[in-house]
Amino acid sequence: MNTKFSKFLVLFLAFALIATLAVGCSSEDEPEDEVTDEATTEEVVDEPMSDIVAAMVTDTGGLGDKSFNDLSYAGLEMAEDELGVEIKALESNEIADYEPNIDQLANAGYDVIFTVGFLMTDTTDLKAPQYPEIVFGGIDQFSAEPASNQAGLLFREHEAAYLAGVVAGLATLDTDMDDRINEDNIIGFVGGMDIPPVEKFEVGFTLGAKSVNPDVQVISLYVGDFGDQAKAKELALSLIDQGADVIHAAAGLAGVGSITACQERGALFIGVDADQYLTVDGSGDVMLTSVVKRVDQAVFQTVKAVVEGTFVGGTNTEFGLAEDGVGLAPYHDFEDVVPAAITEAVDAARADILSGAITVGASRDAL
Amino acid sequence: MLNDIITPDLFASAIRMATPLALAAIGGTICERSGIVNIALEGMMLVGAFAGVVASMFFGNAWIGVLFAVLAGALMALIHAFASITLRADQVVSGTAINILALGLTGFLMEVIYGHPGTTDPVARLLPLFSASPSGDGFFGEIWRWVYSIFFSHTPIVYMAILIAIAGQWALYKTTWGLRLRALGEHPRAADTVGISVTRGRYSAVVISGALGGLAGANLSLEQVGSFTENMTNGRGFIALAANIFGRWTPGGSYGASLLFGFADALQIKLQLFRDVITIPSQFFLMLPYVLTVVVLAGVVGRAVAPAAVGKPYEKG
Repeated sequence: MNTKFSKFLVLFLAFALIATLAVGCSSEDEPEDEVTDEATTEEVVDEPMSDIVAAMVTDTGGLGDKSFNDLSYAGLEMAEDELGVEIKALESNEIADYEPNIDQLANAGYDVIFTVGFLMTDTTDLKAPQYPEIVFGGIDQFSAEPASNQAGLLFREHEAAYLAGVVAGLATLDTDMDDRINEDNIIGFVGGMDIPPVEKFEVGFTLGAKSVNPDVQVISLYVGDFGDQAKAKELALSLIDQGADVIHAAAGLAGVGSITACQERGALFIGVDADQYLTVDGSGDVMLTSVVKRVDQAVFQTVKAVVEGTFVGGTNTEFGLAEDGVGLAPYHDFEDVVPAAITEAVDAARADILSGAITVGASRDAL
Repeated sequence: MLNDIITPDLFASAIRMATPLALAAIGGTICERSGIVNIALEGMMLVGAFAGVVASMFFGNAWIGVLFAVLAGALMALIHAFASITLRADQVVSGTAINILALGLTGFLMEVIYGHPGTTDPVARLLPLFSASPSGDGFFGEIWRWVYSIFFSHTPIVYMAILIAIAGQWALYKTTWGLRLRALGEHPRAADTVGISVTRGRYSAVVISGALGGLAGANLSLEQVGSFTENMTNGRGFIALAANIFGRWTPGGSYGASLLFGFADALQIKLQLFRDVITIPSQFFLMLPYVLTVVVLAGVVGRAVAPAAVGKPYEKG
């Protein structure tokens, strides 16, 4: 190889690397903010309430997933506003990024690090003991033996999904409600990856639907990842082809493809994590409701506990309907469409779950 | 149950999913026939998908989006051509660099243009060419449903892909351009001695492959989804590369192989519908298209012989 070429290649690769890092390291509102700056200078922040710096490592869906990564960041922003905490987000483009991202934040002097997503469980279990002075919050992570500086933050998504199942199970019978509801007693579920947190949505949704409509057929399909919108769209199309008229997708960013399918073929959609009526532009015509997971609250509460010195590690905490950690979003454009029978059934189911009369199963064994 | 799996939509879905693979695979074929390895198809698709959405947003017209997608893919290809032809770089290294660059560049530009990462806002999309809805009962109604789903339910680029496959096959074997292209990949020195410019021929082939990659990206972002998502190609460029090899470096073969991969994917979706009947974990179905790729490449279909000079930089002697 001649030297001219070698120089070119080095330049080229360096450019590629910088372009990648620029994306990887940027936080939403302060793109020029370098990790190392914060680490070395320990600046005094505007509000003197706290000198805590908190950060998060996203799952591969990354920021902008309009789902749990964005929600975690929203929790950090809440902490920034209300507690004067300095915040930061590092994105993981692939699973191999988890470890280096955590190391980078730990070495940059962050006090609290949130690792977002079930897939980061093992990495968090590995890293928490290595950095005992840092608090680790693991979103969607059940740690068998959490370290004293580690807290698993889990959600009983199945409880809220159960309510969504009640809505879908009754809606698919009510052909007068909307002309997109067909005669078939079939509803659909699109999951991202077949992993426990997604399984909870599938199981809750199915149980809820069957509780009000025992003969309903719930068909569940999996995309295989959380980013492939074209694939998620195909899955939803095949569900609609099969006769499904209400589809609930718990597939992160990929789920947006399922919304497109519902709009094209005329079916109703139930969103996930955030109130997707608000986060996905132009989805109002199919968005019946969303299964909301208050990841932002869990993140905020944890940071608050650290700031106030009340943080207790070595635990796995669950947020359910009772803790307001999960819930059902408003019906928005369907407010006047959804009949009282459905809203009453949802209220009844919620009351039963809160009183303990119903315990919603979280794994397929419960089906 | 079989009635529910073998539906018109299974085949329609297979054709839809085959289209981005096929366009990129044909691009790969033309590129490799000229003697240049192109593992950068993934990156060219991604940049095309992004440029298409951005242009569609600015001009409010999806066709202008397609034009920009093609241009952007070609531009990325030009980098690959410059590195591997003019600078005689290792073509695999250059291709890898372009894939990384594409991922970073699209993510970065998304922050710049949209102010947030993840996914862009929805834009004007290309809609199906014919908008009949199949109705009617009985035997003829059923036939019409099949014919409509398979042949008439698609968006424009799906039909373009079929035309490009046919035109490419014809051009490669029936035209002077095709003969010269094949000569470049088999024996560039011989081509050079009879007065064919190796540099110019290879440049044009690489740029054409980039344009096709960009078109494949436009199919994903402007036809299938209607927005751009980071890394939305999700490895399709590499499957396309396999389809090109399986298709034995011919445009028609590439299309056929892509159709097979698309069909495998459509079939795994249909099989998932019956997970409660066929009690197999969903991961098994998701694996199907990839297992097929490996099996195909491991040589079940017989040995595929690459163009003799592929991957070797040409030095004028």
